[in-house]
Amino acid sequence: MALTETVEEGMFQAENPIHELNRMLVKYDLTPNQAKVYLFLSKIGIKTASEISKALKIPRTETYHLLSTLQQKGIIFSVFGKPTKFNSTGLEESLGILLNNERNRISELEAGKDSLIKLWNIIPKYGEDDTESQDNKFQSLQGRNSILGKLEQMIKESKETILVLGTDADFKKFYFTEFTELLNKTKSELRILTDHQSDMPNIFESIDPNKVKKIDDKNREDFCFIIKDDSEVIFFISNNKVKEMLAVWTDSKAFVTTLKSLFSLMWKKSHHINETDAESLLGSEITYEHRLREIEQEKMILSYLKENFKLLGNGKDRR
Amino acid sequence: MTDTNKSNQKEEMKSLKILIIDDNEQITKMLTTFLELKDHKCTVANDGKEGLDVIKENRHDVILLDLAMPEFDGYSVIKDLEENNTLKDHKIIVFTASTITQEELDDLVKRGVMSYILKPVDIDLLHSKLIDTASL
Repeated sequence: MALTETVEEGMFQAENPIHELNRMLVKYDLTPNQAKVYLFLSKIGIKTASEISKALKIPRTETYHLLSTLQQKGIIFSVFGKPTKFNSTGLEESLGILLNNERNRISELEAGKDSLIKLWNIIPKYGEDDTESQDNKFQSLQGRNSILGKLEQMIKESKETILVLGTDADFKKFYFTEFTELLNKTKSELRILTDHQSDMPNIFESIDPNKVKKIDDKNREDFCFIIKDDSEVIFFISNNKVKEMLAVWTDSKAFVTTLKSLFSLMWKKSHHINETDAESLLGSEITYEHRLREIEQEKMILSYLKENFKLLGNGKDRR
Repeated sequence: MTDTNKSNQKEEMKSLKILIIDDNEQITKMLTTFLELKDHKCTVANDGKEGLDVIKENRHDVILLDLAMPEFDGYSVIKDLEENNTLKDHKIIVFTASTITQEELDDLVKRGVMSYILKPVDIDLLHSKLIDTASL
């Protein structure tokens, strides 16, 4: 008894790595208390419900409920005897089971999607069609998964252009997701403006370099957004108070057009990542010569116009 | 008859429909003001793609086409018209500040561009060239 309590006392102390494990298991669709019970059994071994309840300071009724749910999920099992005792499957096996459960759940949801839409369409629409409300929708998105879901939908539905602006740090949460794979697959014209360091891994390194330009430091702004065609944009909001990613999606034409113009301006000023420094320098020298001639041309037209307007002005004065 | 007189005579002859395709907004604005003072009608496109759309939609007496433009440049406009076998249907004057060789300019003319003007150019000369080209 003494051993169990001592171990338990240390197990869920704030600095114990088990806390991190607990947080991670929550991502596998366990509640914090379910994860706590599972981890307790994994580390301590076979225990009765009563022992678990006492050790984890969870009310007995809730403990029974938690054990029952974990059994249904298939990551703990009961051992025959009186009173009934419980034990857990190994962590690796449990993670496999939990992943499978999630996959099955998604398959079921996918299978039910068509029937749901059919049923929905059967029900007549009672409200009036308000076409104006179709525009200017704003949706706030919190957390990686909801943002990623929207991004994936935008990329898949895009027919003309996908414009991406942001640093590697802005998109680091999308490592190991389908984000870059979808960008690679898109048939729309893809343009990415990002920071780029050739000696560092970059989330966009698998993308055709002709589609990626490096944001010049002098043009650097703290913007991060993705535009689909002329119709939708997701822009990210950095908020230090909120740990989770925050973004806003909108189909506001004014918003999309403004951000598209900004992107276009920055794209013009930036260089392709596969351009060598020499090429870039050469390019800017050519631009410099070119610009000088254009300025000279501007001056020539301007002086003509000034002269003419002066004449027109004098004529008016005389009248 | 002096060159100026000749030019004045031409000006009186016809008001032209001119399309200017140039990404330099200062130039397009001032040039439009200048040409409108001369009673011509101007349409402006600030990039090649937009220019191509205007070319396809409306007929112009003469087109001033800049070569160096971001994204869709003047060369792409020429190439597109060439691929559609319509380059020779338009009176295009290449109007550029780019460093371009005589060979390259001759090649453009061979392909169907009517003429070329290198920036900077005297504004009266530019005007004469527009009128000459339109009347060809």
